[in-house]
Amino acid sequence: MTGLGEISLSLSLIVALYAAAVSFIGGARNNQVMVQSAQNAFYALFALYTVASAALMYAFVTRDFSIEYVYNYSNRDLGMFYTVSAFWAGQKGSLLLWGWMLALFGAIALFQNRNKNRRIMPYTTGIIAATLAFFSLLMVFPSPVFDRLPGLPPDGYGLNPMLQNPGMIFHPPTLYVGFVAFAIPFAFAMAALMARQEGEVWIHSTRRWTVFAWFFLTMGNLLGANWAYVELGWGGYWAWDPVENASFMPWLVGTAYLHSVMVQEKKGMLKIWNVALVSVTFCLTIFGTFITRSGLISSVHSFGETTVGYYFLAFLILTIAFSVYLILSRRELLRSVNSLDSMVSRESSFLFNNLILIGAAFAVMWGTTFPMISEAVRGVKITVGPPFFNKVMTPIGLALLILTGICPLIAWRKASLANLKRNFVVPFMTAVLAGAAVLALGIRDIFAWLFFSACAFVAGTIALELARGVKARMSGNAENPLAAAFNLVWKNKRRYGGYTIHIGVVCMFIGFTGNLFNQQVETTVRPGESFAIKNYRLTYVGTDYSKPKPTKEEFVATVLVEKDGKKLGYMQPEKNFYKNYDMPNSEVAIMSTMREDLYLIFAAMNPDESATFKAHVNPLVKWLWVGGMVMGIGTIITMWPDKREKRLIQALTE
Amino acid sequence: MNKTQKKFLIGGLVVVGAVAYLIYAGIKETSVYYLTVTESASMAGSGQDFRMEGNVVPGTIKVAGNALDADFVITDAAKQVPVKYHGTLPDMFKDNIKVVVQGKYDPSGTFIAHTLLTSCPSKYEASKQGQNT
Repeated sequence: MTGLGEISLSLSLIVALYAAAVSFIGGARNNQVMVQSAQNAFYALFALYTVASAALMYAFVTRDFSIEYVYNYSNRDLGMFYTVSAFWAGQKGSLLLWGWMLALFGAIALFQNRNKNRRIMPYTTGIIAATLAFFSLLMVFPSPVFDRLPGLPPDGYGLNPMLQNPGMIFHPPTLYVGFVAFAIPFAFAMAALMARQEGEVWIHSTRRWTVFAWFFLTMGNLLGANWAYVELGWGGYWAWDPVENASFMPWLVGTAYLHSVMVQEKKGMLKIWNVALVSVTFCLTIFGTFITRSGLISSVHSFGETTVGYYFLAFLILTIAFSVYLILSRRELLRSVNSLDSMVSRESSFLFNNLILIGAAFAVMWGTTFPMISEAVRGVKITVGPPFFNKVMTPIGLALLILTGICPLIAWRKASLANLKRNFVVPFMTAVLAGAAVLALGIRDIFAWLFFSACAFVAGTIALELARGVKARMSGNAENPLAAAFNLVWKNKRRYGGYTIHIGVVCMFIGFTGNLFNQQVETTVRPGESFAIKNYRLTYVGTDYSKPKPTKEEFVATVLVEKDGKKLGYMQPEKNFYKNYDMPNSEVAIMSTMREDLYLIFAAMNPDESATFKAHVNPLVKWLWVGGMVMGIGTIITMWPDKREKRLIQALTE
Repeated sequence: MNKTQKKFLIGGLVVVGAVAYLIYAGIKETSVYYLTVTESASMAGSGQDFRMEGNVVPGTIKVAGNALDADFVITDAAKQVPVKYHGTLPDMFKDNIKVVVQGKYDPSGTFIAHTLLTSCPSKYEASKQGQNT
């Protein structure tokens, strides 16, 4: 089986090179036989990747520890669930997963367009096949996943206990789907340029791919944050670590792209900007991989130094050169049809939303690469940490949040005073009221006041728009309020899906603002003793020991929780020891409500029977997870098949 | 360039300028030196907060009974520095691992750390972890 996997990967390199070359030549010469042959080669490529992935999966499931990778990331004790996820626990396997996904998405895109977009599809195929050739190259030379150990070890080394969490099963593949799927709109954009095709066809054809990629990137980041929160046990969910930033940067630019293509669809403007943004998004997915795999930037969870990073650097430079050349040589195709009319308009608010998102991505990149730059330029290593990012991103976040309210309602071209009054007086009053309520609650933090007011403003704009639409349908179509609301959303999926996503954004900002009020206590107590944090009282009952598996020992502390004198229940944070990992692994206990989380870490057991705890009270964290779910629902609404859009694409691409 | 375009250019420049200023001010206010133990000698007596990386010298870790105060020595092979840290200890903290501490020197030359990070660059790479142990 593993021999088959190895052969498949070697073959995939040849087939990918063939598909890329024949596709480009066939497209340029308009030779249908070549184009068809390249497409068939692409489907074969997908089959080869599938065989290789199945072979690795088979090796994991059958516990074939003669494969170094299987030995390194699993053992006989590991449950099936985590054995499957060990596939992507290390670098080699995650590259294979990445390649397989790209082949899958490419094959789907090819199939969707088998009778459409015939002029640009050969180039699209060529670009995706060339990218796959790069992944095959990695897996044949510097990072071979099927490498064998000299003998057959009786048992594997085991999976890092930190990765034994449900979040770890879903977080990496979700993020990879987001990264990989952005290759599809990128390939279409570049293909349209190569084929010198004018207009917005590539945007219409890839809108769903873009939203799909963005959805997974969003969810991947959130799942990562959630995993960090429940598993890493430092009390927070985002530490501005280079690995986190690496997936946050493409999200920021991808979000900018998602918004600015709407301007091109509606007004035929910002064409250069859009192809540049989709290229930058794609490059950032590669850049992120490069910085986390090269060891150039030290991160608490990097993959270690490998040469793979330099392959990614070379690929990144090639990609940048390729897209810059295409954009510059085709710039006459990218002329705007319209020009900007007024600063107070939808176009302008989109433009500012874009500038700020790009600025945010730039700030994150600057902070992430600063230690490297300062060492190279000035010879001293200077680092910036979370304080830098919090300081820079807080005002940027506030500006973005306010634009989230303004952007969807302000008129296209030039907003009149009447338009502004009609759309913004009510939301503004909502914000003022919310601001007053915040003050009345005794909150004196200026940023808390600004953020809660801005959240109310955005919620006000969306509520106003929804109320108006429902009212219009109720009188126009004689529908009851519920049916009217449902039909309104259903007949305008993109618009109301977008609003739903914005509601999610508001919830998330409420969650972020909660960080301003975090509290923490560190203390050592003996059984029967208590300590207090905020209005909670925690009493240490005792610790129980058990050994559920030969490779795992558990120490479970029991703590009684009372709030304002009322008993809430018990919390049981754990400290676990795994064989082969000579460090303990803490499992935190969390008591979560919409108002706040009580987060308890069992920091140490001491020889004198006392125990050391670290407790956090993190207000409003749950709003973040709820906001993420709302965003997910909104994204699904915007992606739902729509007859009108299908007819439009059909008409454009035939 | 017409009047509207000029306005947009100015508006755009204001946004770019604002972001640039935020980055500049952020770096200026929050950046700290990241030094090796040997390089950190220049910071003695300065009272300045900085980060320092080094390996924990085996056998030097002394944890108080409350598990919230630790004394240990870190080294970069050339030089050693005693460190005093208050706070909960990371799970990975032990002899011989690479740590990053943030804080400052007290007059006696002891490094008073308020932050202790265990940055094991091979956390997800099981094979390397095997070599370390």
